[in-house]
Amino acid sequence: MENKILTFAFMDPPFENERTVTFFRILDAALDRSVNVRVFAYEGAAALAFSKQQQHGNSVHGRDLQQEQHPLTKDWIAALQKKAQERQLQFDWVNCGLCVDERGVMESIPGCGRGSPADLWRYASEAFNTLAIGTR
Amino acid sequence: MKVLQVVEQAYRTLVEEQDDTILWLTQSMKGAGADLSVLLAGHCAYYAVQKTRQPALKIGGWQQQEPADIVRDIDQLLGKGVDVYVVREDLEERGLGDLPVHAGIRVIEKNKIHELYEQVDQVWQW
Amino acid sequence: MSRYLFIQSQDPFIEARTSSQFDVATQLAKAGKTVSVLLVQNGVTAARKGARTPQFDALAGAGIKVFADSFALQQRDITAGDLKPSIAAGDVGMVVDAMLAGDKVIWN
Repeated sequence: MENKILTFAFMDPPFENERTVTFFRILDAALDRSVNVRVFAYEGAAALAFSKQQQHGNSVHGRDLQQEQHPLTKDWIAALQKKAQERQLQFDWVNCGLCVDERGVMESIPGCGRGSPADLWRYASEAFNTLAIGTR
Repeated sequence: MKVLQVVEQAYRTLVEEQDDTILWLTQSMKGAGADLSVLLAGHCAYYAVQKTRQPALKIGGWQQQEPADIVRDIDQLLGKGVDVYVVREDLEERGLGDLPVHAGIRVIEKNKIHELYEQVDQVWQW
Repeated sequence: MSRYLFIQSQDPFIEARTSSQFDVATQLAKAGKTVSVLLVQNGVTAARKGARTPQFDALAGAGIKVFADSFALQQRDITAGDLKPSIAAGDVGMVVDAMLAGDKVIWN
């Protein structure tokens, strides 16, 4: 039986609020359920895949860069890409191009594309179901 | 596939994007063939009675040239055949109940929202 | 029959909007639809025994199944024994399950 496609639209940038964490947990759960995942990253979410995110240490807790292992959303995306590949699932990620431009986050990690609202509609139309998570 | 776009958060992005980002997204997807309707809920009830263009922002010597125009955007959505609804109680609880609603926007009772949800295939709440 | 899953991230202590959100869920349930709510993030704060949230508590009475994300509960040191009787622990996998079942899945 062919695996279903689910589309997710998201708006939040890295850090700042819990929605970003919940969103990634949902994507991970989708791959666990053999779902082909498509993501349309809109507005702030266009920065989630920015390849120039950098870790830092934590002097308040006495941890250097290596020890802190600071979470970065680009690494979460890469981990999900890898998981999808291992399970022979699709994991497609499109950033809204205008959202990328205005934020200057042009450099995304490999495997993340640039698109437009037409892609969100295409992703949604081709998917079995879609979830939109707005920002506040 | 019919999708209802529910927008509650108003005036976010309006300055920097010079648009309400979800009304803009809706117009853009409509242009790509999407079958969409819009429910203005919560603070977006203000959009249904908006009469003026947004004020132009000035920061230091920077002066905004193209502030958002919600009235124009609602007109464009309606002109493209997008049904736009606003929740009566959201207007009334904000003291907007006596103001004229933008022509073409349908006012619905809060207790009818579930019927709107049933008329579409998906509900995207932003 | 239509089925709905509301992912409830907003909580009634901070967000007045939850009142309208709970109204919509209740209307759908009263109209005979199958409605579930998954509390996530600070949404789970309404799930703890003793939390004063009358409108939220009435959801179960309307036939709505309410679950609380285990990760969010664990973050807040809320154990299964701390939950109101009408609430079961759940997880975000339920979101995917609902989407795959063809439910209308809506983020609050």
